[in-house]
Amino acid sequence: MKKHIVSLAIAAMVGGMTTAYAAVAPLDLVKPVADYKIYVSTEVTDLVAQTRAFTDAVKAGDLAKAKQLYAPTRAHYEAVEPIAELFSDLDNAIDSRADDHEKRENDPTFGGFHRIEYGLFAQNSTAGLVPVADKLMHDVLDLQKRIATLVFPPSKVVGGAAALMEEVAATKISGEEDRYSHTDLWDFQANVDGAQKIVQLFEPLIRKQDPKFADKIAANFATVDRILAKYKTPTGYETYDKLSASDRKALVGPVQTLAEDLSRLRGMLGLK
Amino acid sequence: MTQCPFDLTAGLPESPRRRRLLAGAGLLGGALVADLANAAAPAAKHVTDAPAAKGGIDDRYPFHGLRQQGITTPRPAAGMVAAFDVLASDRAGLERLFRVLTERIAFLTTGGPVPQTDPDYPPPDSGILGPVVTPDGLTVTVSVGASLFDDRFGLAAHKPVHLTPMTGFPNDALVERLCHGDLLLQFCAHTPDTNIHALRDIVKNTPDLLVLRWKQEGTVPVIAASASKRPESARNLLGFRDGSANPDSSDAVLMERIVWVGQENSEPAWATHGSYQAVRLIRNFVERWDRTPLQEQESIIGRHKPTGAPLDGKTEFDVPDYAADPEGKKTPLDAHIRLANDRTPEAQKHLILRRPFNYSNGVAPNGQLEMGLLFIAYQANLQEGFIAVQEKLNGEPLEEYIKPIGGGYFFVLPGVPVKDDFLGRTLLNA
Repeated sequence: MKKHIVSLAIAAMVGGMTTAYAAVAPLDLVKPVADYKIYVSTEVTDLVAQTRAFTDAVKAGDLAKAKQLYAPTRAHYEAVEPIAELFSDLDNAIDSRADDHEKRENDPTFGGFHRIEYGLFAQNSTAGLVPVADKLMHDVLDLQKRIATLVFPPSKVVGGAAALMEEVAATKISGEEDRYSHTDLWDFQANVDGAQKIVQLFEPLIRKQDPKFADKIAANFATVDRILAKYKTPTGYETYDKLSASDRKALVGPVQTLAEDLSRLRGMLGLK
Repeated sequence: MTQCPFDLTAGLPESPRRRRLLAGAGLLGGALVADLANAAAPAAKHVTDAPAAKGGIDDRYPFHGLRQQGITTPRPAAGMVAAFDVLASDRAGLERLFRVLTERIAFLTTGGPVPQTDPDYPPPDSGILGPVVTPDGLTVTVSVGASLFDDRFGLAAHKPVHLTPMTGFPNDALVERLCHGDLLLQFCAHTPDTNIHALRDIVKNTPDLLVLRWKQEGTVPVIAASASKRPESARNLLGFRDGSANPDSSDAVLMERIVWVGQENSEPAWATHGSYQAVRLIRNFVERWDRTPLQEQESIIGRHKPTGAPLDGKTEFDVPDYAADPEGKKTPLDAHIRLANDRTPEAQKHLILRRPFNYSNGVAPNGQLEMGLLFIAYQANLQEGFIAVQEKLNGEPLEEYIKPIGGGYFFVLPGVPVKDDFLGRTLLNA
């Protein structure tokens, strides 16, 4: 076939990407932001209490109990990650993965939840974990102190919903977050719950701007919750390897779509 | 103000920048200084200037037509295939996917300004080609895998006759995560950035419809243009010209027989003007190849390396006379090109249109180069085409140097003949 060079007046464009919404009064944001602060503070209180029990078990050498407390404890961290992440030094200390360290698991700077997870689940031992547990407890208390005095920027709060879904899309769908314990579905649900909490608090405002958008988000959250619910056990969640290929695939669409849709939330609510 | 940390002159007005240049040139002294200053003034080059396009940035291939582009369209320097799982769970979702793909591909291959939107929202375009998308000879070719015809969409009865999941040949070491897919997009353009831009556009517009499964980019080496003679075939990473025996893609009648599905192929009616696509990621063990004597390389392939001529010929497009060489004294009986096409009338049945790219992916765990051929071939009958040819090649001496690791079989949907129509309509209406 001969090469055709067609000169065309350019017309094809994406249509309707931006709908003009009414401005949201800044005062309308005050209550949901305040409510979110209460939610975060409750989660962090639980995080502190459970980290205490978890690190005590580690330090006491109670391997079974420490293993049991690992996933439920860190779920409280995962739920409020957009706020916790504002303190990057603590986030790195509490929640970094071996990949973030040059010598991986053997790197002396590798600490926090995942270092303990590595000891408990990969090495099946609490040996050498006492200083790591002490440091984790210290860091979690520091986090609580810092959050207590933090002024929550509305754009960070609203943007947090998208950030949590980005977390899910990047590290939970692939099952690489909790690679030693395979408790990823706990974190998956915690991220989703954290995102859903933010959406719920701002729901009246979102619905006022675009009811169809609000419905679409709710439907996608419901799909994710419904699939994850299949993997609930009396004490928590099945391990990640139990997630069927078809359910994993069924989660991808709603997760990608929530990440894409929630990335528009700040704009919709007039936040820079 | 954001400033590139590496550009020390960024943000400075033009004159101090020029003064620096003059000061540097002053070391050379005399009249040269003035010359350099004059030469530099209108179009001083800076290391981070975008390289100028060598032509073709506004090339467009018409999107609408009975057949899709990217098959008999001349192969440009940069190619990419991306295989996806379809996330749509029903017929309506699949139709939406086909409509979105149609709309995006029509735009991307035509080019034009990207919509300006409220900066409080994420931008609709990645921006990597700037505010006006240049078509750059882009083609995006949509094909579907056998798995699309499972029970999700009720299409089982309409599966093309020869479409099956690719199964391994004796020399294959297929890696599951590099194989198959419900849908495959082949992107071809003059530059890889145009392909990447198009892929990102489609990914952004299909979050609930597609998830990437694997992708492979490739290139072919460019050669100096020559007005007088037929261009040589591009070389693969073994250093040999690849595609010399390809059927003439400018011969529409021949293409109708070899490449495009028509009435004579006993395929479902919807598949007319479609084509079977065989994609193979074929790793080349290039270090070992480069340590092989030249005459042995040439015997294995069956061609002279510098010219591409068959071993009994003078130029690349000479047709080897195997009848005159029944014992393989000139061209060994197991040479690659002789096994693939023994030039008998029977071989005419097995002709395929190859349109490959070379890929290079970093380093294998053993410290050797991870590179090879992104083999892509089109044919009206997959069984008589690629599969039959590969079966003839099984056990060839070249296998010491190559290892197929991925790919799949796909069926290229018929084209979109008119505006308001969409890719896959004939399949969904079948």
